[in-house]
Amino acid sequence: MRYFRHTYTILAKDLRAELRTKEALNASFSFALTILLLMSFAFDPTEEMTREFSGGLLWLVFAFAGVLILNRAFARELPNDCLDALLATPVPPSALFLGKALANMVLLLAVEAVCFPVFGIFYNIRWARQFWPLLLVVVLGTWGFTVVGTMFSALTVNIRLREVMLPLLLYTTMIPGLISAMQLTVHLIAGEPLSGALVWLRFLIGFDVIFTSLALALTETVLVG
Amino acid sequence: MRKTVITVMAVLGIALLLRNLHVILLELPDDAAQGPIYRIMFFHIPSWFTAGIALSLSLAASVMYLIKKDLRWDGMAVATTEVAVAFLTIGLVTGSIWGRVAWGIWWTWDARLTSAFVCWLLYVGYLVLRTAIDEPTQRARISAVLQIFAFADLPIVWYSIEWFRTQHPAPVLRGAGSIEGPMKAAVYANWPALMLIGAVFVMLRLRQESVKREIDSLRRTVHAL
Amino acid sequence: MDSRNIEFMFYGLASAWVILIGYGLTLLVRERKIDDELRRLRSLVEDRERK
Repeated sequence: MRYFRHTYTILAKDLRAELRTKEALNASFSFALTILLLMSFAFDPTEEMTREFSGGLLWLVFAFAGVLILNRAFARELPNDCLDALLATPVPPSALFLGKALANMVLLLAVEAVCFPVFGIFYNIRWARQFWPLLLVVVLGTWGFTVVGTMFSALTVNIRLREVMLPLLLYTTMIPGLISAMQLTVHLIAGEPLSGALVWLRFLIGFDVIFTSLALALTETVLVG
Repeated sequence: MRKTVITVMAVLGIALLLRNLHVILLELPDDAAQGPIYRIMFFHIPSWFTAGIALSLSLAASVMYLIKKDLRWDGMAVATTEVAVAFLTIGLVTGSIWGRVAWGIWWTWDARLTSAFVCWLLYVGYLVLRTAIDEPTQRARISAVLQIFAFADLPIVWYSIEWFRTQHPAPVLRGAGSIEGPMKAAVYANWPALMLIGAVFVMLRLRQESVKREIDSLRRTVHAL
Repeated sequence: MDSRNIEFMFYGLASAWVILIGYGLTLLVRERKIDDELRRLRSLVEDRERK
């Protein structure tokens, strides 16, 4: 139980820190809205077409906006040697990782919660016909993105060109997760039931399980050595 | 001793390649369906085999580094990955040129090609990451973790893109058909030749890594004196 | 079509060789550079130790 208390402490700390300044959150929101705007110039869609690429569009928006949040995950601990201090505490490194990943997920979910209605308005799409399955898919997809993203954020915290390396590595690794999330989102926004795309759901869950296990196993190696 | 081994392997490899080239260009007939363009296969297919072996070796080397913390394993990891990327590039370029004639297009987003490109991106990302880290132990540790993530991602990427493609079928391609007899033998004859060349490259690169380590320690000595 | 076919075959085979030779050359160039650096540092260390 202590493990989960540690995780919760880190989660609460990160959320509190972010909500105090809301830097990453504001940047992420603005960036997401800007991309939605730019996409409208790039495509000028009819309703039929939009429904077809809605999944792809939305997850690209989430991926780009998410990197802004993920970049800060471990970077915020760099000033004043906070990272070293955190590693010196009794909190196990995997709990530290888990807490940060959960905090990032909460923040990214907040951004996504705004993006969906805005997307519905801008592109004139009724997106909530399969609301609960869609929520499940969004949570699973965001978790996959956050887990891999937080891991790579830890990997790149101490290196040059961190802001460039993180997206470069993250997007390539995330391809399977993003494909499944996109496929499921397109399916659900079109109003089809989840049972029609179960293969992708199983795939997304598998992706999440594999990468969460890998990340938890390797956190200590990455942070401590 | 080491230099002799390298020279012998290089000479043998080049001799084999030249002998095979003679067979490929002069002795084998044109393919009934494709014409002479199929001869590119003799480099294209063995390159992928060689790259695959090199990547497996580099994963093993990375894991060994994390266990033993000996920088020589890190040297092996980067040497094999760099050579693998060279052979991956050969695979992609030769495949594209072949495709231009056999299929009429330079590129298509079918499962195999897309996965190949993702693989190339993943490992180029590994090499770029290494240039961003100056401290040798940190560089070895971080890149070893990335190698594990990249290798774990490969089968997942392959499956996800394969499923994606069965839903969105690729353009109808005039198939390559099967190869038989003396042609098949030539493919398998070129493979050891490319493996020998690859092994020579790895050994040269390995030596460069150990020289770099000596340079590092000499620099520190100069600084201290 | 037939002449294009042979032409592209040569491009394909040539590209494989170019990449192999190109990589080999970069290795050799790098080798020379770090051997020079090594020699320079070794003589520097000897000089400093002699003083």
